[in-house]
Amino acid sequence: MRILITHADEPLGRRIAKTLYHDEAVEAIFAVGAGPPPRSFDRYLGSDESRLQYARVDLARHRSARDFFHSERFAKAEIESVIHVPRHGAAAGAAAPIAAGLPERTAETRLVLQNCLETPSIRNLIALGSAFVYRLPPGNANRLSEESELDLDPDVPGEIRSWIDCDMIFHGEVHNDRLRVVLLRLPTVVAEGGYVYLNPLLEGRPGLRFRALGFDPICALVSDKDVARAVQAAAHSRRPGIYNISGCEAVPLSVLSRWTGRAALPLPGLLLGLSGRLSRLVGTQSLAGGVSLPQLLYGFTLETSRAEHELGFRPSYQIGLARAGDGALRLETAPSSIG
Amino acid sequence: MTGGARSKVLAFRERDELSNAELVDPTDDSPALGRDPFEDLALPEPFEEHLELFEQRRAFRREAPAPRWVEPPTPGAQRPLPPRARTRRWAATPPLGEIDLPETRDLVDRMLGDHERRVLLSLSQLVEGDAPYDHYGFSPEVLKLAFPLFYALHRFYFRVASQGHENIPTEGPAILCANHGGLLPFDGAMGVMDVMLKTDPPRLTRSIVDKWAGTLPWVNVFFSRVGQVIGTRENVADLLADGQLLLCFPEGMDGIRKPYTQRYKLQNFRVGFVEQALRARAPIVPMAVVGSDDQAPLLYDIKPLARRLGLPVAPITPTFPWLGPLGLLPYPVRYRIAYGKALHFHARFGPDDAEDGRVVRYLANQVRRSVQHLVDELRA
Repeated sequence: MRILITHADEPLGRRIAKTLYHDEAVEAIFAVGAGPPPRSFDRYLGSDESRLQYARVDLARHRSARDFFHSERFAKAEIESVIHVPRHGAAAGAAAPIAAGLPERTAETRLVLQNCLETPSIRNLIALGSAFVYRLPPGNANRLSEESELDLDPDVPGEIRSWIDCDMIFHGEVHNDRLRVVLLRLPTVVAEGGYVYLNPLLEGRPGLRFRALGFDPICALVSDKDVARAVQAAAHSRRPGIYNISGCEAVPLSVLSRWTGRAALPLPGLLLGLSGRLSRLVGTQSLAGGVSLPQLLYGFTLETSRAEHELGFRPSYQIGLARAGDGALRLETAPSSIG
Repeated sequence: MTGGARSKVLAFRERDELSNAELVDPTDDSPALGRDPFEDLALPEPFEEHLELFEQRRAFRREAPAPRWVEPPTPGAQRPLPPRARTRRWAATPPLGEIDLPETRDLVDRMLGDHERRVLLSLSQLVEGDAPYDHYGFSPEVLKLAFPLFYALHRFYFRVASQGHENIPTEGPAILCANHGGLLPFDGAMGVMDVMLKTDPPRLTRSIVDKWAGTLPWVNVFFSRVGQVIGTRENVADLLADGQLLLCFPEGMDGIRKPYTQRYKLQNFRVGFVEQALRARAPIVPMAVVGSDDQAPLLYDIKPLARRLGLPVAPITPTFPWLGPLGLLPYPVRYRIAYGKALHFHARFGPDDAEDGRVVRYLANQVRRSVQHLVDELRA
C-alpha cells in the first residue's frame, strides 16, 4: 500500500504518518504539508531508502495542487490511497483564511477530491471530518449516529460551516465506483500534554474562553492515537462510507477546559450572543470562540457501532489526568488496561 | 370469535374516539394488577390476520433463510479487536450483598442508613475511571449529593408505598411505562427512587424527559447528571441496546396539563416507546403512580399565555400564582406506586412490526389500558 498524507506537518497528520510508518502493509508514505518537515520526522527521513518522504505543498492553491498531483514524481510514486487531514483550524484571534473565495479548508478539500478523481492510480480516499457538523437537539448529552441530521442552518459560524461543506463534498462521492471514499467524523481530539483539536471552542492557545451560564454540555473525546488507528483500519478495509469515531470518555465542557488549561468563563445567554456578534463585527474568533450557541448549550456523544462492525475499529486508549514528572496534573492518553 | 369477545373488540375499537372517562370497560371485573392484556382479550380481526402473516413469515425464515450477500474478508476486519475499555457496561451493578461498607463516613453517609449507602455504592460502580461521567452525563457523585433530598421526599414527604417490584426485570432492557401528572415531575423522581431502593441489584432508571427540559439552564445539567435522558430515538435505542431500564411517560406534556377534573384519566399515548421496545425486544412494564395528580391540582391552563412564553403550561392552581414560585411546590400527598406484569410484545411481534403504524398504535393502547387498570386498582 502506497499512501499520501495531507497536512502531515500538523499534529494529527504527524500522528497518522508515524502510525502508518510502523504498519508492515504500508510500502511507502508520501507526506505533504504547508510548512517545513516536522522535526519529529527527522529520524524517518534520514536515509534515501526511507519509506517516508515529505514535500511542501499548499493544497489550497489550485496551481500548486495541480502541479503536485500531475508531477512526474507523483506519477512515479503510484499512490493508491490518500489520507486527507483537513486543516484543523485557524489560530485563535485570526480570521479564517480564504482561498479561491472559499474558506481554505473547503477549497483544499475540493481540490484534493478533484485530483483524486482524476488520478487513475488512486483507489482510496480517507478523510477526517468533524462531528460538530451534526444538528444538536436540546439536552446536555445526546447520542448521535451517522444518520443524524447535519446542521444546515445558514447562520452557523464559518468555522463549522467549512466542516459541513467538506463533509458534504465527501458525502457526494461516497458511492463512487472507482474511488472508495471513507469519511471519519471525529469529536474533540485530545493529545498528551493537554492539546485539543477539532473542538471549535477549545482549539488554539490556552486562554480565556466563554461558555453559557447554566449549561455544561458533554463533550465526546477521542485520543489522537485512536484517530490514527481508525485511519489505519479504514485504509485496510474495503468498505466506503461515513463512520463516527469516538473514544470511551465523555466529560462536561467545564471539566475538559480545566483539564486542558483553558479557563471557561460562564456568561448569560444575552452577553454570550452580544460577544458573538461583536466578534463577527471585529472579524475575530477569540471573543466567543467562534462557536454558535447550540454548541455551547448542548452536548453529544457518538454512536460508533458502524465503525466497530465494518472497519473493525474499537477505541483502546484512555484519556485522563496523570501526574507528570514536575508533579503537575496533565491530560494524558494511555492504553486501556480495563478489559 | 365469540359474540362476547367480538363486542369487547368493538368496544375496544371505539374506545379511541371515546372520552377518557369511558376508557375502562365497566363490565370487565378481572383483576387489573399484573394483568397481561393478551391473556383474556381477543384480538381484533385485522390483527389476527396480521399474526397469521407474521407466523408464516417466521416459519418461512426458519425453513429457508434468505440468501445474504457476504462481504469478502478484509485485512482490517481480520485483525482481532482490542479488548473493550469499559464500554457498554453501564447497566450492571453488583448485588447489595457484595457491597462492603467503608468505615469512613462523610456528611451524606451520616444522613443515610446502611441499605441506602449500599445502594449508592453499588450505583457508583456504573461509571469508573478518571472521567466519572457516562455518555449521557450521569455522574454518581452528583447522584450521591442529590440522594438525601430525594430520599427524604420519598420517605417522609410523599411517604411512597409501592408494590409489584418483582415485575421489574433484574437485568436487561425494559421500559417502565407510567401515567404522568403534577406540574413538576416528582412522579418521575419518586419512580426512580423507588426502583433504586427496592431492587437488588439496584437499577438506575433512566427517565425519558421532554426536549423542552433540555433547554432549561441548570435543569438540563442536573437532569443529565442524575441519569435522566432526553427522549430522542437515538438515545432510547442506544440505552435499550445497552440493557438499561427506562421510565417513560407516553402521555407527554398532555399528562401534566390535564385539569383536575380529569385527574388519573390517561391521555392519548405516544407510540414511540412501543416501536423502540419491539426493535430492542424489550418488555414493557406498566406502572401506575397515584398521588401525582393531587400534588398540584390544575384549575385552569392559560394556553395563550403559555404559547406566548414558550412554556408547556401556564397553570392556575389553588396556590399558584397567589404564593409566587412557592405555590408550585407539591402538596404533601401520599404517593402509591404499582408495577404491573411485564408485557412481552416482542414474543409475538418482531422488530419489523415496529414499522407498522396500526400494530404499534394497537399495542400502545394496550399499554394504556393496562396502566389505567393499575391506576384504578390503586385508587379503589
